Amino acid sequence: MADNVCSETTFNKIYAQWGKPIYNFIYFKCGNEDQANDLVQEAFIKLWQHCTKVTQDKAKSFLYTVANNLFLNEVAHRKVVLKHAQLQPRKVDGQSPEYLLEEKQYQQKLQNAIANLTEAQRTAFLLNRIEGKKYTEIADILDISIKAVEKRMSQALAALRKEIEEL
Amino acid sequence: MDIDTLLHKYLNGEATVEEISQLKAHPEFASYLKIAEATRKFEAPNFMDAENLTAIQNSIKKQPKVRSINSLQRFMRIAALFAVVIATYVFVSNRDTKIVTQIAEHETFELPDHSEVTLNAMSKITFNKKDWKKERALTLEGEAFFKVEKGEKFQVNTPQGSVAVLGTQFNVYVRGHQFYVQCYEGLVSVNFNGNDIKVPAGSYAQIENNQLLALTKAEGTAPSWVDFESSFSEASLEAVLNELERQYPITVKNKTIAENKFTGSFTHKNLEVALRSICEPLQLEFKIDDDEVMLYAKNSN
Repeated sequence: MADNVCSETTFNKIYAQWGKPIYNFIYFKCGNEDQANDLVQEAFIKLWQHCTKVTQDKAKSFLYTVANNLFLNEVAHRKVVLKHAQLQPRKVDGQSPEYLLEEKQYQQKLQNAIANLTEAQRTAFLLNRIEGKKYTEIADILDISIKAVEKRMSQALAALRKEIEEL
Repeated sequence: MDIDTLLHKYLNGEATVEEISQLKAHPEFASYLKIAEATRKFEAPNFMDAENLTAIQNSIKKQPKVRSINSLQRFMRIAALFAVVIATYVFVSNRDTKIVTQIAEHETFELPDHSEVTLNAMSKITFNKKDWKKERALTLEGEAFFKVEKGEKFQVNTPQGSVAVLGTQFNVYVRGHQFYVQCYEGLVSVNFNGNDIKVPAGSYAQIENNQLLALTKAEGTAPSWVDFESSFSEASLEAVLNELERQYPITVKNKTIAENKFTGSFTHKNLEVALRSICEPLQLEFKIDDDEVMLYAKNSN
């Protein structure tokens, strides 16, 4: 029983580690900030309620599963609007205004294209690209095979490329 | 290596520099890489880190934790409940049935095999309903009249010995050191102190202090007490009065006033009549004072 998540210290540690990833996971799916924040709260409250039977190493998969189930119960989906990471260092300073404009346009297109992906493709793709998760971890979270993750990644890339380059 | 595999390797962060340049050489995959890299710079907006934590903490303070019991504990609880139920059932169903009569009380009842037992006053029968099919056996203290259904051996155990029959009618009297068996039908076998005697229909065996006193002829089809009358033949006054005390809620003083033997009977229905039946043949008189009876010799003043 010492291994469960009932102590407040342990619980807070788990929130610090998994609060944001769970938020991202929900946001990638639905694009609704309020909903994502709400579901993070609900998922952690559920974790607390069931803390006696969830060990620390099971907490992550418990949270993803609960968040996903809660998400499926909700209907409000919005357009996924990502923002630019604030702390992304500029590699090269003093780039030409043309280049900067072009890059901005590219990002805008990419942004729209991501929003137009199917939920399944987008979630897998963003978990990998933004969250930096490996395929095995994504397969685990989404409860699908690694082959299915590969397929979603390939489809997502193909769909994004098509939209960015042909429009 | 297949180029798609290389792409996935790259996306998993496992591609080598050469593999990346191999991908970049391919126009389609070069643009995939560009997309993949550009996407990495995005992030989801507005994660309310601190606000969420506060909301969670406020909420969990209000809510009690769900007490979970693991499946073994749950199983043990259910098992314990069943154990109690089964133990109770076994205990109840294995308990002996006891039938007890008080002073002036008769009780007629059927045993599980429909054999009939009439229990005289101040007597007790114990038997086990569940074991009855396997073994027709009961324990008797006092006096009882049995009408036994035909079947396997039927045994009456008493502190003085046992009576075994197959199917018959008989009376067993076992009080103090006295052990009397009267057979009305069939044949009974009486076992006492290692001896075994057969008592045929119309016979009366009197055993006292583990000794067979007499095996005499006796008439009738049922003991008289069944019809609310106690009969005696050459009985001591004390034995007669003891029986009287069992049939009426009284105490008899000076039970040993006469040494004459008593042959006759008394009714269970009227104390005065009963006392007269006992006293007259023995030249005694009696006085009833509430629940006490005093005996004295006639003309003794």
